[in-house]
This record gives sequence, C-alpha cells and structure tokens, in this order.
Amino acid sequence: MRFDKLITAKLFPISRRDLLVTAGILLCTIAVCSVLRLAGSIQGFAPPVFVLAVLLVSRFTTGYLYGFLSVVLSVVCVNLIFTYPYWAFNLTISGYPLTFFVLMTVSIITCSLTAQAKEQARLLAENEREKMRANLLRSVSHDIRTPLTSIVGSTSAILENPGLSDQEKQELLENTREEAQWLIRVVENLLSITRIGDEQARITKEPEAAEEVLGEAVRKFRRRFPAITVSVSIPDALLLVPMDPILIEQVLANLLENAAVHGKTTTDIHVSLQEEDGFARFSVQDNGQGLPGKNAAGLFDASTTPPRPNADGDGKRNMGLGLSVCRAIVRAHGGTIDAKNLPQGAEVSFCLPVYQEEL
Amino acid sequence: MQIREKILVIEDEKSIAQFIAAVLSENGYETVQARSGAEALSMISSHCPDLIILDLGLPDMDGLEILRQLRGWSSLPVVVVSARSHERDKVTALDAGADDYLTKPFGTNELLARVRTAIRHTRTTSGNDEIAQKGTYTVGDLVIDYNKHQALVRGENVKLTLSEFRIVALLGKYAGKVLTYDFIIKELWGPRAGGSNQILRVNMANIRRKIEKNPAEPEYLFTEVGVGYRLAEGE
Repeated sequence: MRFDKLITAKLFPISRRDLLVTAGILLCTIAVCSVLRLAGSIQGFAPPVFVLAVLLVSRFTTGYLYGFLSVVLSVVCVNLIFTYPYWAFNLTISGYPLTFFVLMTVSIITCSLTAQAKEQARLLAENEREKMRANLLRSVSHDIRTPLTSIVGSTSAILENPGLSDQEKQELLENTREEAQWLIRVVENLLSITRIGDEQARITKEPEAAEEVLGEAVRKFRRRFPAITVSVSIPDALLLVPMDPILIEQVLANLLENAAVHGKTTTDIHVSLQEEDGFARFSVQDNGQGLPGKNAAGLFDASTTPPRPNADGDGKRNMGLGLSVCRAIVRAHGGTIDAKNLPQGAEVSFCLPVYQEEL
Repeated sequence: MQIREKILVIEDEKSIAQFIAAVLSENGYETVQARSGAEALSMISSHCPDLIILDLGLPDMDGLEILRQLRGWSSLPVVVVSARSHERDKVTALDAGADDYLTKPFGTNELLARVRTAIRHTRTTSGNDEIAQKGTYTVGDLVIDYNKHQALVRGENVKLTLSEFRIVALLGKYAGKVLTYDFIIKELWGPRAGGSNQILRVNMANIRRKIEKNPAEPEYLFTEVGVGYRLAEGE
C-alpha cells in the first residue's frame, strides 16, 4: 500500500517549480504558433512546434506527470487553435490520432531517458564520494597511527626506564609534543572537512579582509616555527574577499606547514596576496627542496597519492590529506589551487573570486 | 606568607584539570578544582576565587549556564576553555560574559598569559591602570592619548579619523582581551547598527595602515579570525 504510494509519488511528483516550467513552455509555444498563424504560415507547422514543447517539458521536469499534461494540452491546442477549422474541436481530421500518438511517445521516451540520466549522475556522484571518503579515511588513519605510536612509545620509555638521563627524557618529551602537535593539525583538517559538508559544498561566505586572515595564519605559524623567516606582502588597498575565514586560514596554515616540513631545507618563506582580474591570489613560496616529481596536479589528490609508507625515508608526514583538504576548501569557494617548482624551492598558490557570485 | 590569587578550575576531565592546576601552582597561583557544574556553583560561593577557568562541556550542565548564573551577581573574571572550536561558540561565550576564550588544545604559555590579563583587568575599574591615572595607554611604540583623542606612533600623531580613534580607544580600554565584532559595532554605532561587519573591516584596515609597519604582520592590532579584534598588551 505504502509502496504503491511511493511509486505514484515518484512517477507523478507534484512540484510548483515543474508546474511553472510546464506552463511557461506551453505558453511560449502558443505565443510562437499564434505569431505564425497571424503571419499566415501556420498550416502544418503547429504539430512539430508542439512536439518540441513536449520534449522540453519532459526533459526539464521530474516524473511523467507534466509530460502527459503537456501532451493532452498540446493536442487540444493544436486541434482547437491551430488547425482549420479554428476554434472548433474536430476529431475527424485525418492524422489527428497520429499526432496524439507521436506526442505521447516523445513524452514517454524523453521522460524515461531523463530519469535514467539523473539516476546515473546520482550514482556516479555517490560512487565518487564513497571513493573519496575511503581514501580519506585510509589517509587519516595512517596520519594518526604513526604519531600515536611515537607518543605511546616515548612516554612508555620514560615511565618504564627510571635510569634515563635528563637529556634523554627531554628529547623524548619533545618528540611527544611535536607528534601531538601534528595530530592537532590532522584533527583540524578533519574538522574543516565536516564543515564543508559532503553533499554539495555549501559554506557560508562573508566578505572578509584577506590581509587579516593572512596575517593571523602567519602569526600562528611563526609561533610554531620560530626558526623560519617569513616575509609577507599585500596590496596597498584593502581586499575584501567573500570566504569562510576559518577555512581559508586552515588552507594557509596547511600550505605554510607544508613549506616548512616538506621543503626540508626551508629557511625562508614568502607569502603574498595580490588582486588579479577579479581574483585574490594567495601565494606561498619557499626555498626548500621543491615538490617531488614533475606532476603537480596529482599532489592535491588524496586518491591519486594514497599513503605510501616509507615513500621518502620517514614516510610519516603525508602531504595528501593536507593538500586535498586545501583543494576541497578552495573549490568550495569557487577558486583554483596550483603548485609548481621554482628554480629554488616551490610555490603553491590559490585564487578566490573577489566578487560574490549571485545565486 | 604572600597572599596568592586563588583560581577555581572547573573541568570534568581529570587529566586536563590536573595539568592546568600543576601549571598554575608552579606559577604562584593557588588552585581549587571542581568536576561538575553543581560542585562549581557551591565552590564559587564558599571559596570566593579570584578567577575561574571554565570548561564548557560539563557532565551535569552546560558551562554557559554557569556563566550566565554567575554574571547575574558577580563580575568575577572567567576564562573559558573548550574543545568547541567553531568561532560561533567563542562569540557566544564572550558575549555571555566570558573574559577570554581558549580553544583546546592550548599551550601553557598561552593559558598563563590569558590568566594574567584577566586578573589584571579586574584590579582596575576602567580596565586599565594607565588610562585611569594618566589618560594614556602605551604598548611598544604606540600611545593612545584619551585626553587629546589621538594615537601616536613613535611620538608622531598618526591622524586617525573620529571613528578610527574610537575603535582604537575601545580596544585599548580592554587591551589583551578579544572584543567581538558585535560588541565593537554596538559600542560604536549603537545597538541598532546593522549586522554588517564591513564598515568595521574597512576602518580596521585603515587603522592598520596608519599604525602598523606592515598591515599583514600586525604588532598591535590582532585579528581573532571569525570572532573579533584584540589590541596587544603592554608589559
């Protein structure tokens, strides 16, 4: 019983939007045919125009209801208004059943094709999301397990070996703290992802002063890596960029940390903000060892760079998660992110649109 | 024996409470601990602490509820500590009367600095000793002159506009404390000023360009992203 209702609802869903679409398309068609009729060239042209109308209605509405509705209305219109004798219902015109049959077939086929296409797109998107989620999970558990091992190991070593020298203890504790800080980063990235949400990337954007977000990210970075020199340049004029400031700060924090940790020999980082043809361009340059490999595109993809243990010696600092989070955040803002090697070091930059796009 | 400031730590997580208490006693504060909201409320009245460190996620009640009850009768400084990292939570706590907000995880230096600031603010009525005595506030090379309505950097008047000066003056009064966007807007443009932060952003950008060497590397005017602004504190 309930199942029946469900099927009915799926095949004949009622929505105001679809009703408006149907009415709009039919009215337009009637208008076009009226013009043709006034111009005296309607004979024989009305049916194909209405076929087009039925096709459009079926394509742009959900379910079969509006397609059927438009078929019935079209047949009435063609017969009543646009076929001689005008303004008279004449069921004996030859070809009339044929018109009805053609329109009905067009409608049913288009409706089912549309439904199929929608279903396929949905399945594809779901698949993609599942894949991303699985990769993310793998990448995250790897990123979490390694530092945890080190924390448990170091603290146990201290607790179980009373004979350790103060210096040894100090070193172990410093390791522990460093690993814990790494874990904090991982967790913050995870929080960012939940903030973007997994359905459509919907975030609340407000015009924010880009320099404030940049300045704050740099200030926090300096506290963590006092040995690295950071220089910052911004434009003279205030740049207000629609963004979720917490997420963009997270992107900058990830890029800065990557420059410091993965650059390995990084001593200087230059951060800059520029306006370029309607985009705010944030860039982080370092003088480290540069990016691995030639292909920068795969860098941002957690799915193309699954965690490879011992990939580059230590194997613990995995760039995949941080950068794929960056890309997800930037994309959700309608922006782009890019990475390249410099003669000395690397540059990662991202652009955000400066103007609020109208929905 | 020296009289020490007493700090009540309200935190249900034992390991965190112990680590906070250890750091505070090491730095010359006396500490008492409460593990639940009910215990905390009775300890506030029996111990009369000088400052409260409050965790928002307590087993029996929301920390914000304690804050609201407390603010009904006391202006005792409260530093909120919480794992809720969404900036909306920070704003709610600050607007409910918290003096400061620390997000878990935090470092010990940060904790001590916030505690010092919060205690200092309660000692003076205007929030700041120097303002009360001399009518000026000094931090580094920056001097805010409340009598002449101007700000000086290295002795030179930086010529702030009226609203720019009022923002700086307000931040100076509460130096070291984060003031939420809403609070600043209401103080400056009245309670009916719209919700838009843009005027504030623009004013702030202008102030930074007049006061800071590099507006993107501020030494005085800090942003707490998504929450508000804070003026550096003079030591």
